[in-house]
Amino acid sequence: MKELAISSDAPGEKLFLLGNEAIARGAIEAGVQVAAAYPGTPSSEIMETLASVAKDLDIYVEWSTNEKVAFEIALAASICGVRAMAAMKHVGVNVAHDPLMIASYIGAKGGLVLVSADDPGAWSSQNEQDNRYIAEQSYMPVLEPSSVQEAKDMMADAFELSEKFKQIFMFRTVTRVSHGRSDVVLGEISRERRKGSFRKDPSWLVYTPAEARKNKPLMIKRFARIKEAVNTLPYNQLSVKDGAKLGIISCGISYSYTLEAIKWLELDDKVSVLKIGTPNPLPEELVKKLLTSVKEVLVIEELEPFVETHVKAVAGEANIPVKIHGKDLIPAVGELSTRKVIEAVVRLTKAKPPVDFKDLDKISEDIAPLLPWRPPILCPGCPHRASHYAIKVAARRVARDYGKGVEPVYPGDIGCYDMGVNPPLEAVDTTICMGGSFGIANGLAHIIKAPIVAHMGDSTFFHAGIPPLINAVYNKANITMVVLDNSTTAMTGFQPHPGTGYTAMGQETVQLRAEDIARACGVKFVEVIDPFELSKAIKTIEAAIRFDGPSVVVSRRPCATEELREKKKKGEKVIPCYIDQDKCNLKCAVCVRLLGCPAIVRKEGKTVIDSFTCTGCRLCAQICPHRAIKQE
Amino acid sequence: MVKEFNVLIAGVGGQGVILMSELLGKAAVRDGLRVRGSEVLGMAIRGGSVVSMIRLGDEVYGPLIPLGKGDALVAMELAEGLRNIAYLSKSSVVILNTQRIVPATVLIGKSNYPSLEEVVEILNAISNRVVRLDAARIAEEAGSFMTANIVMLGALSAISQLPVKVKTIKESIQDHFSGKLAQVNLKAFDLGYQACQQA
Ligand SMILES: Cc1ncc(C[n+]2csc(CCOP(=O)(O)OP(=O)(O)O)c2C)c(N)n1
Repeated sequence: MKELAISSDAPGEKLFLLGNEAIARGAIEAGVQVAAAYPGTPSSEIMETLASVAKDLDIYVEWSTNEKVAFEIALAASICGVRAMAAMKHVGVNVAHDPLMIASYIGAKGGLVLVSADDPGAWSSQNEQDNRYIAEQSYMPVLEPSSVQEAKDMMADAFELSEKFKQIFMFRTVTRVSHGRSDVVLGEISRERRKGSFRKDPSWLVYTPAEARKNKPLMIKRFARIKEAVNTLPYNQLSVKDGAKLGIISCGISYSYTLEAIKWLELDDKVSVLKIGTPNPLPEELVKKLLTSVKEVLVIEELEPFVETHVKAVAGEANIPVKIHGKDLIPAVGELSTRKVIEAVVRLTKAKPPVDFKDLDKISEDIAPLLPWRPPILCPGCPHRASHYAIKVAARRVARDYGKGVEPVYPGDIGCYDMGVNPPLEAVDTTICMGGSFGIANGLAHIIKAPIVAHMGDSTFFHAGIPPLINAVYNKANITMVVLDNSTTAMTGFQPHPGTGYTAMGQETVQLRAEDIARACGVKFVEVIDPFELSKAIKTIEAAIRFDGPSVVVSRRPCATEELREKKKKGEKVIPCYIDQDKCNLKCAVCVRLLGCPAIVRKEGKTVIDSFTCTGCRLCAQICPHRAIKQE
Repeated sequence: MVKEFNVLIAGVGGQGVILMSELLGKAAVRDGLRVRGSEVLGMAIRGGSVVSMIRLGDEVYGPLIPLGKGDALVAMELAEGLRNIAYLSKSSVVILNTQRIVPATVLIGKSNYPSLEEVVEILNAISNRVVRLDAARIAEEAGSFMTANIVMLGALSAISQLPVKVKTIKESIQDHFSGKLAQVNLKAFDLGYQACQQA
């Protein structure tokens, strides 16, 4: 049997796909021609999948420097009449928010889809954020799939809808869809490739106040048409059961939990269900039909009460006397599950829960004290560990000169180096948003008297680090900014960026250097270090902190995981370190206490290095006071 | 018709949990089954707990297995087997790799690690069938310690209730690996299968 691939034009065949692959497949079927993104969990595999077939299918795919640029790339393509998309995680949409608000005024010529991957439960994010509100604020219709199959189907339709209504669409996925897996029935692939062209039309594309005032009513009109149309879109489905007292409205992935819950409770023919695939705008006709057919309604959705609020407005406007529940019974924090839905339904129906969940919770609670805690950790051989360590040693040295008890402050950023917050490193004092470390450092510089050493990764530097760096120069903030250059965007799955020398489609390109940018921005102290040459690194960072004015240190060492992969490919050997037990003073345990490297373990009362996990970075060898750590 | 069969695969980042669920899911699709699944990775970083869920059957809708509804738990690591017991019931089967991966938090005294006896006792109290394997040793026997996950997949396939055909799972292994690697992995699969049958 010949294996099918994501790019196979095999309508009707089935593939086992990750949600994000299904989303990419939908875009492929729609004939998307331009796709741009900045990585972020849970969205990254969409662009990775598209990049892997871009050449064969004649699609232009890029990793942009940040989400705002990615969105603008897609917008430009749409303006030229070409089908285009941008993909990002929920907080990425914050970065793209500025052009987004105007894009809605512009509308879409070529189908334009913004994929927002929200992360209920904040599995890999700094917050929970419900981007349906961003869509509402900009009159952007939202498509929200309830399954991986529907994600593929909706995405394939989204471009068509966007063109039909001349409006940009948001495709809102969540972690459980993006990282869910399912059999997916494929559709036909559109081979249409349009020749885009730019038509000068200032009244459409140049947003002076007059144009804004002229175009806003047009946007509102487009939205009104969409509001009519969603009542008959297949993604919204009403199933009214005769004599049902309870109606459930569920949006997106919650619909799958709802189906499962009412089946398990054996209520499937006693409860009416309205499935919502377009939370913005709601299919109001269907909502009214449901509201008038039952006594009580439960709105089931993850995160904020977006649908709930609008359903209540519909009920109020139409004077429908029905009790509407939502966030009074469904948590606004975290993901939903079949269990949470059952618990809410049970409270409204007096149905008996099929299992005693509290019992099961008790079992988990009882065993919890027996279980090891596995916080995410820096990998063995990770250069960030060395950088964190060097920064701390250097900054503490300088802090002594500031007076007794003065602690340096380490504003941190978003990337693998976040993990440095945990013991034993404890080298991160703030983590807010991408680029935030340099910004916070700028602010602190005008308030506190202590060494301020901020750090961010290379991908983050190109994404959002340069404006606050310029700000430090311009406004004379006496801070040290360390760029942790591991030559990749590690945390989100090793995507390339402007410092790596190649593009999403594997093309070679210019390799930008943080030190060149820093110098060009007017920073007078700029040095490059190798964090694995520890004492030199500490000295350089110390000099940078002592420098009067903003300083930049680029700590350059490839990501250990990437490096291992490279070595494996080339057949090169890794030479691990080992501990000479004759020299090791067991009690000191400096290596264990200061570094937190997973390769250093205790075995039979001894401290040893696990030769399988050690990458031979020699960081521990450089801090061992007894010189007991060696490398063959 | 298969109504519902839920497989939970648990382990630690880097143990090949995701690949196991991919191979199983692909095979299930080839067998014409309806498949839903999801993985819980936390931050995509090595060393954390990983759980992957594969759900088979016509009455499955959501991506997550509800508590108490797991039919099979494949634990690639001792403590991770224990961590997921709230998904089990009397009728579920547990396949437990006795390998221990002890994190640094245990070394510095910030958390505990259970003994084999504790884990087995608790699992036995909850489920009727607990199969213990030393997958690392079996994997070595097959030719590479890297194949421990495939050993465990083989062991899972020996469970009579699994609605996916053994032949199809082997096909998906064959398709995934090339050349000699395919042979080693197929051997690992067979050894795991036998070990579970004999256990
Ligand atoms: C606005 C925004 N976009 C994307 C992300 C997702 N994300 C988390 S960390 C990270 C970048 C990591 O790259 P880098 O700074 O080079 O650090 P590394 O992980 O390689 O150490 C990204 C893109 C985010 N949190 N916020």
